[in-house]
Amino acid sequence: MKGRLAIPTIALAATLAVPAIAQADTRISIMADACNGCHGTDAASPGSMPGFSNKKADAIKKALMEYKAGTKEATIMNRIVKAYSDADLAAMANYFAAKNAK
Amino acid sequence: MTKLTRRTFNGLLGTAGLVSAFGISGCANGPAGPHVVVVGGGFGGATAAKYIRRRDPNMRVTLIESSKVFHTCPFSNAVLAGFKDMAYITKSYDRLASAHGVNVVNDTVVAIDPAKKTVTTKGGATFTYDRCIVSPGIDFKWGALPGYDQAASEIMPHAWKAGAQTALLRKQLEAMPDGGVFVISSPGNPYRCPPGPYERAGLVAWYFKQKKPKSKILILDSKDAFAKQKLFMEGWDKAYGEMIEWVPANKNGKVLKVDAKGMVVETDFDKHKASVANVIPPQQAGAIAFAAGLTDDSGFCPIDPVTFESTRQKGIHVIGDACIAGAMPKSGYSASSQGKVAAAAVIDLLNGRKPVAPSFINTCYSLIAPDYGISVAAVYEVADGKIAGVKGSGGVSPAGANYQFRKKEADFAEGWYASVSQDCWG
Repeated sequence: MKGRLAIPTIALAATLAVPAIAQADTRISIMADACNGCHGTDAASPGSMPGFSNKKADAIKKALMEYKAGTKEATIMNRIVKAYSDADLAAMANYFAAKNAK
Repeated sequence: MTKLTRRTFNGLLGTAGLVSAFGISGCANGPAGPHVVVVGGGFGGATAAKYIRRRDPNMRVTLIESSKVFHTCPFSNAVLAGFKDMAYITKSYDRLASAHGVNVVNDTVVAIDPAKKTVTTKGGATFTYDRCIVSPGIDFKWGALPGYDQAASEIMPHAWKAGAQTALLRKQLEAMPDGGVFVISSPGNPYRCPPGPYERAGLVAWYFKQKKPKSKILILDSKDAFAKQKLFMEGWDKAYGEMIEWVPANKNGKVLKVDAKGMVVETDFDKHKASVANVIPPQQAGAIAFAAGLTDDSGFCPIDPVTFESTRQKGIHVIGDACIAGAMPKSGYSASSQGKVAAAAVIDLLNGRKPVAPSFINTCYSLIAPDYGISVAAVYEVADGKIAGVKGSGGVSPAGANYQFRKKEADFAEGWYASVSQDCWG
């Protein structure tokens, strides 16, 4: 943050207020984009890995929560999904569904 | 007085950066935002270039890569074993340019000046950047293993950068008589793709089992343990019986010297005569990382774990195998995941925003046979200033799983490869 001290107070207040929401979105988008390596960009898998670009947010959420609970058969998702909070999983499901609704 | 149209105005100005200052960005002449130069078009660099453009279409991105096409190390062991061809592991840069608007330049970067913010190429071009992302992969420490230099690698291939070396090693394996000994020298940590040497052993064993079943594979290791060890050993035993022998460092496995002309690999007490020798030498960050002053005594590049900005040179970010990324292994998937984080951080920094806490994944499949796959996966975060695995998650495939499970993971290995290739270059 050094070197930013010259920014006038009003401008600083404005930049802090708006990006609060943007920062939360950025955090979730970074988290979700990491999934694309296995599932394809925006989860549109080109090969044998399951994609979910045609799924609604609720369906994605349901699958993720079942992997986390261990009630859905898995080879690798059960190991990965445990790293995320329920809230982050839900936010990622919304992110993917919104991307593909466009 | 001549009236300037927007088009001629832009043409006259000639500098897209200036255009945005006049408030007419987003015009037909392309983006007008800050310029990011990405050095190196492997998993890390290609992903960073694509994801900057995806996240912020206003950004201008130039990707400079010395090869016209990229050969991936993932699945190069399948090329060695003969069940995939070179075309399968060859990636084009066409879509980064056509679909994502990346300016792809086929040249080699020889210098980066962090004060002037310029990148200079072998071809004599100079590019000015607002931020630079360096993703040079690895180079070999020629001579660190006595007897092993570039000339020796034409006789005992490393095949640890895919392409011509992969083709050379495949040719040698095909020419090897039945009953021959294939020696793999596996390096000490850290190195690119920790499970790679062991996947190679298994897949070459698969090839030998069909074409030259009396042959042997000897892995001489500079380590006492390796990635997914239990799973590899379980698989080797099941699929190939005694064909593969692994000698750890503490049982005299560390290769200390090679004699390429004599086809001899030496450890402390033994000399092993090889029919075909694959020497994977000690590694360091790619040459440009040294030229740009980005490396420390380890030969790799220290970085800020949130932004991947070099701790040595301001305005230059280092991703992939060349950087020191805490608990993340040096893998293609790691590099790509880091590329996405660096892309977001660079955009935030260029827009005067504070970069957010990042999240990464590494997922890595290894094949023991075309229908026998195993995996390791982990999610990473920054904790106490270091990249660390998220507790309570990640890990390797279960031991003792049945054929269906291993087959499924082998199918997913191919699906993983299709996806990660598309995500980086597609």
